[in-house]
This record gives sequence, C-alpha cells and structure tokens, in this order.
Amino acid sequence: MPETFVIVGAGLAGGTAATTLRQNGFDGRVILIGAERYPPYERPPLSKEYLRGESSFEKALLQPPGFYGENGIELHSEVRATRIDIQEKAVELESGEYVAYDKLLFAAGVKNRHVPTPGSDLDGVYDLRTVADCEHIRREISPGRKAVVVGMGFIGSEVAASLRLSGVEVTAVDRNKVPLRRVLGEEVGRVIEGMHRDHGTELVFEDTVATFEGAGRIEGVTTKAGRRLECDFVVVALGVEPATEPLTGTGVKIDNGVVVDEYCRTDVEGIYAAGDVANHYHPVFGRHIRVEHWQNALKHGQAAARSMLGDGRPYQEIPWFWSDQYEHNLQYAGFHRDWDELVVRGSMEKRSFVAFYRKDERVLAAVAFDRGRDLRRSVPLIKAQERFEAARLRDPDVDLRTLVAETDKA
Amino acid sequence: MGEFVTVAGMDEIEAGEMRAFDVRGIEVAVANVDGAFHAFDDTCTHAGCSLAGGDLEESTVICPCHGSEFDVRSGEVLQGPAREDLATYETRVEGGSLKVEG
Repeated sequence: MPETFVIVGAGLAGGTAATTLRQNGFDGRVILIGAERYPPYERPPLSKEYLRGESSFEKALLQPPGFYGENGIELHSEVRATRIDIQEKAVELESGEYVAYDKLLFAAGVKNRHVPTPGSDLDGVYDLRTVADCEHIRREISPGRKAVVVGMGFIGSEVAASLRLSGVEVTAVDRNKVPLRRVLGEEVGRVIEGMHRDHGTELVFEDTVATFEGAGRIEGVTTKAGRRLECDFVVVALGVEPATEPLTGTGVKIDNGVVVDEYCRTDVEGIYAAGDVANHYHPVFGRHIRVEHWQNALKHGQAAARSMLGDGRPYQEIPWFWSDQYEHNLQYAGFHRDWDELVVRGSMEKRSFVAFYRKDERVLAAVAFDRGRDLRRSVPLIKAQERFEAARLRDPDVDLRTLVAETDKA
Repeated sequence: MGEFVTVAGMDEIEAGEMRAFDVRGIEVAVANVDGAFHAFDDTCTHAGCSLAGGDLEESTVICPCHGSEFDVRSGEVLQGPAREDLATYETRVEGGSLKVEG
C-alpha cells in the first residue's frame, strides 16, 4: 500500500510542502485540502500591488493551476477540515466525509481576529485575508472616497498606504501611540507615522472604534474617545490568531498555535505543522516562535515535507519579511520581544536606516527602512549570537559583512 | 544583435561589484564576476527594484527589496518571489572600454 500524506491548508506552506514532497520523489498519495476556491497563492500582493490593481492574480499563484493534477497532487478546494481524528488517523471534512492519512501536515494558517463591535456586520465593513476579501475592497476604491482603517499593524499600514496611493481619503485608528508599536517599538513606529502623515493619511492614536454606524451600509464610525469619522467603507486589520480548531481535544499540544519541534513534529506521532499556525522551536533563539510571514510559510513548508519523508534537518531559518508602504521598502529580520538598546545606522530623520534591536549587546533583530542591502548583511550578525560593539554597528564605514569575521578572530 | 554601447571604462567595476547604466533607455546592470562582465536588466521582474542596489554573491544577484535571486550569467530566477527570468545582454571589452549590447 502506498502511503497517504494529507495536508490540511492549501496556502503557501501547504502548497510548498506538497510540491516539495513530489520534488523529493515521494510516490504515495498527496492530498491537499483547502477552504478557499483557488490553488495555493501568495498573500503579500493582497495588501499592496493586487489591491491597487497593478498586478494579476495569476502572478500570485504558487504554481500554475495545472501543476497539481500533473504532479498527482489531489487538490480539494473549497473544502473545510473540521476535525482531526487521531485514533482513526483521519481528517473529518465539513461534508461529514473522512480522509484517511498515514501522516498529516497541519498548515491551516491563521484567521483574522474579530473584536465584537456594534455594526461590524454592516455592508462596506471589510477585513482582509483572502483574494475574495481583497476583491471586495478593490470594488470600493476610487479617488475621493473616504475610508477608515482600523488597526495599524502591518496589514493596516499597507492597506492605508495602498488606499492613499489610489486616491482614497484615509483615516486610520489604532489603540497604540504609533503604528507597528508592538513589533517595531515606539522609535521606529514614529518614523512610520511620519511617512503616513506626509502622504496625507489621517492618523488617530490611543483610540479604538466603538461603533460602526449606518443604515444597512456603513456611513461612519464613532470612536471610544467620541470622535465621529465619516466614511464610505472600512477595513478592519486587528491582527490574527492561529486556526487550530480542528485539533481541539485531540491531545496535540496547542499553545499560541500548534507546538512543534525544530523538525515540524507535534507531540503526536505522524502529525506535523508548518507555516503561520506552527509555534516552532527555534535553535538560534532557544525558544518557540510563531512567524506569520511569506518566507517562513515557504521555507517551513519545505522543511516539514522533508521531515515527513524522514530527511528532516533542524529548521533554523532567521525570520525575515518586507513591507512596502508608499514608495518605501521596510524589512525586518530576526526575532525580538524586548530589547535594551536600539542601535541605529543611518538617519531616522531622513528615513534611510537600519536599526538593530540589541539585548545584552547581542543583535536579536534588525529593521531597515529603504536599506535592503544592509538588512541582508545584518542576518549573519543575528545568527552569530555574539556581542558586537554598538559603535561598529553604527559606523557607516564599517562593512557589516566583516563584523562576524572580526569577532571570530578575536 | 544590436550595436554595442560604451558604458564605462573596463576598470570602473571591480570584481564582486555591480553598476547600473542607461543603455538606450533601458536600465542595464553590469556585474563583474571574477573579471568577467555580465549584463542584465537592472529592473527586478518581481516589483521593479534596482538590482544593482542589492548584493552580488559570486554569480548571484540578490534584490534589495524582496530577496529574489538571479543568476547574472543566464538571468535565471534562483529564488522567488520573482518568477520571470531577467533579460541578459552581451558585453565586450574593447580598447579599455566596457561595452554592452544596446
């Protein structure tokens, strides 16, 4: 009997895992189950070029639509997995059918967080995760219309920028003091704030939406502080949570997502997890981390497939992502929660810098504003987990590529 | 095959370095890989960033914006998010000048 590998979740991680299984010669059955209508695609364009109507959806597809059939990957679209039965080793579908597996990869991703708010079901109130969501928002975009963006994390910030670039009047509301405060901190957040203001985006901080108002369709919002903001449509971007429901009660450990080791293995034999949903042990940081970005979905999906084939290697990719807002390119690499010093190379005022988040003189992460080359050159510093002098990190005449080699010699 | 256009002196791009030039209205990057010059579209096929602003590691150019990687010799995509290969151009060194097919 050939083995059957079932992948729950046909996003970037699931699609990449299926592809990797075949590329590595797996000749059993590969069943890929996805809730959406489309074959696996990349989501970054949905808040950027695709939202602005500058690129086609085909460009976002992970593989050409015919690829799955040609490679013997059984892709089941618009099918929702509701429960995993670990005793019977089967995935229960919404239809009541069961799909048996020998090994299972859980790559169901994340779902948008919903904060119960009166009027959130009005027409014209959207959130963004899928291409279908994106198309709804696209239909609302035209110059001079008014939008409220709720939440200025990465998705909110990118959507606000894309709407502004498309001529929409944008007001963004966030409960923090600056955009992206949770990830980037206040200092870098101020730079992002300045960029949005310079592009004419109205920003309302330390406030939240109390009610969405309108007769059937959104007409405006009222904030907790009592501000009334009129608008034609709203995009809510309040973050995400891991979509772990099908594993509830199975005994697979869930803690901020599906807990896996550096080989993408859960604590239940034969069940793996990868991508946004997986809280994975990371050898470089010495802890579990969960990463919600493109590069991780891709590389973690590949790593899980190799692990399922018995050819696993510890997954220790340094998390990295970009965020394009207006004409600017932001990038971040590493992982930090708290830090004791932010060391800046370049100029925050001129919006051209790379900033290092340091703790005990070690570089945990770096963020770059229009300095992609410096960001890439910072990744070895993060991997090295060594102490680097702040003055050397700051000095534009010091080639970042030479720093790791210097400490090796010392 | 187009004519060759002089873009720089042959000593102006050191080994391991890249520079971009306007060659008859097209931004063309030239990389020096161990003394051999390779010319390719400077504009990344993914989102249009200038590749000469990225890093050159041996014969691989890495886009500074989104990390796509291309082989400068063939223009082939080695790593996404880009999907389309880069156009490449012939180069020639004549009388101390570096020329690119235009």
